[in-house]
Amino acid sequence: MDEKTRTQVGWPQDPREGLEAVVALRRMLEALEAAQVENAFVAGWSWARIAEVLGVSKQAVHKKHARRIRERYPGEPPGRKGEDA
Amino acid sequence: MRFIRLADTSRKSVEAAFEEARTLGHDSVGDDDLLLGILRADEGIGAAALTSLGVTLEEAREESEGMLSDALSSIGISFEEIRRQAGDAFEMRLPPGRRLPLSPRGKKVLVDARKEVRRLGDDYLGTEHVLLGILGTQGGTAVRLLAGMGVSPEVVEERLYQFRRQAAG
Repeated sequence: MDEKTRTQVGWPQDPREGLEAVVALRRMLEALEAAQVENAFVAGWSWARIAEVLGVSKQAVHKKHARRIRERYPGEPPGRKGEDA
Repeated sequence: MRFIRLADTSRKSVEAAFEEARTLGHDSVGDDDLLLGILRADEGIGAAALTSLGVTLEEAREESEGMLSDALSSIGISFEEIRRQAGDAFEMRLPPGRRLPLSPRGKKVLVDARKEVRRLGDDYLGTEHVLLGILGTQGGTAVRLLAGMGVSPEVVEERLYQFRRQAAG
């Protein structure tokens, strides 16, 4: 892969720019995870099922997301039918 | 060693910086967040100097998001597109209950602020000292953020000292 191709596929030549892209991506990853977990929850997915697809323990996903989502959806959200739907 | 009093204005600004970092999804409080904190708390000579130069919290936040967006587009990712696709559930804000540390640059700003207090012979640490610490951080995110808004560290410093003289009467 020559320099030109690298630039085209998104490889910044300035190392600072590249490192900052990693930080930005990490921030966006967190936001995306929160949004996708929330979508799954609203669609009626159980914590166990969400955790399985994410490849983490049910405890981990619950600890990270439950409080935020409960605050956002006091009571059962629409479309959600029981913990193991 | 002389006792340095932490002014209410700077305490509020630092608290506001933590809140700003949380809102923007930062996992630590950096020099850029400390700058946003001064604007958010909107108190003291630091805030007055920035405001008088037309630097507003809203624009600074936009600039910060613009820098995030630029960083992502440098590796071929469109922040706007992802946000649009993800819909309402997508927000950068951190979940409640997560404690944020100061970043190394954030720490350095506060250490430098104390040095500024001694250098100027003051007996309190105000937002002007925090701002001087921010402006002195070479290659820092806050300085670049200000540059993006067309404001140089020199101009802010000059305005800051002018406001100090006025406050001293």
